[in-house]
Amino acid sequence: MERLSIEKTKSTPEVLFDPETCELRIEGQSYPENAFKFYEPVLAWLDDFLRQLDREVVLEFYFNMPYINTRSSKCVMMLLEKLENAYVGGKGVAVRWYYDTDNETALECAEEFKEDLTLPFEISAIEAEK
Amino acid sequence: MELNLLDLQTKLQGYGVLISFSGRFTQEIIEELGDAVKKYLETESTSKNDTYNVFSVFIEQTQNIKNYSVSKAGGLLGDRIANSGIVAIGKSEAGYFVSSGNFIENKDIAALAGRLEEILAQDKAGLKKMYKDQLKKEIPPDCTGAGLGLIDMARRSSKPLTYSMVRLDDELSFFTLKVYA
Repeated sequence: MERLSIEKTKSTPEVLFDPETCELRIEGQSYPENAFKFYEPVLAWLDDFLRQLDREVVLEFYFNMPYINTRSSKCVMMLLEKLENAYVGGKGVAVRWYYDTDNETALECAEEFKEDLTLPFEISAIEAEK
Repeated sequence: MELNLLDLQTKLQGYGVLISFSGRFTQEIIEELGDAVKKYLETESTSKNDTYNVFSVFIEQTQNIKNYSVSKAGGLLGDRIANSGIVAIGKSEAGYFVSSGNFIENKDIAALAGRLEEILAQDKAGLKKMYKDQLKKEIPPDCTGAGLGLIDMARRSSKPLTYSMVRLDDELSFFTLKVYA
């Protein structure tokens, strides 16, 4: 499978999905003009990847999204549901969600996403960029 | 009538308005104004959370207006609606606020008012439940919005949302929404 790499813009995050290392990352603010259009290829790539993911391998999904508008939240939820389904289906999936220590809202946002999921979901504070 | 900018500015400042924009919203304008709002609040040494909330409410309000005008583009009223946007970020004794306004079709009023009243009737827990239910709901692929913006603003707001709808003619009304972030 090909890597998926999307560069960061002011209103869209960097997306880096590496099928070799099984590391998937989304980093940055997300409030694009059309969130569904932005996340469509991301979700499609993930579908293909999860389908062929070996049961022995653990997929690590890193998030660091300081600001997410509601339309992007909807897309992130769709993405997390795909990961949850894969996990429930017996595949190795772990989510690590990073937030800046002084961004309480980002923490609350992560906690709300985590609430309804059963997959391993670790939330960690990191020092804010100065 | 000659445009008197000093008069306009004095009026805006009298209402506590810090930043405002009137005209056609584009994603670029929303991004630039959003940055301006953030920078302004950072220099005011506002707490990170307040800054975040004001920015967030600003994005939801302006993207709602933009999406509404996109949904009406090409129609007979498309241009009037697209040019009718206005947003003002300000500060009053009760805190920071984001007010926005735009033309909406009279036929859309009932649904919007119903939605707002439904939101206003909820307490904190009710709003969270509404938000989560909506977050998980399947949405039609041609839909630009997720139906979450108003609920999200109500959750962030320190006071109940206030809104008004003023009838302009047989087709349009002016809708305003004020949120204390």
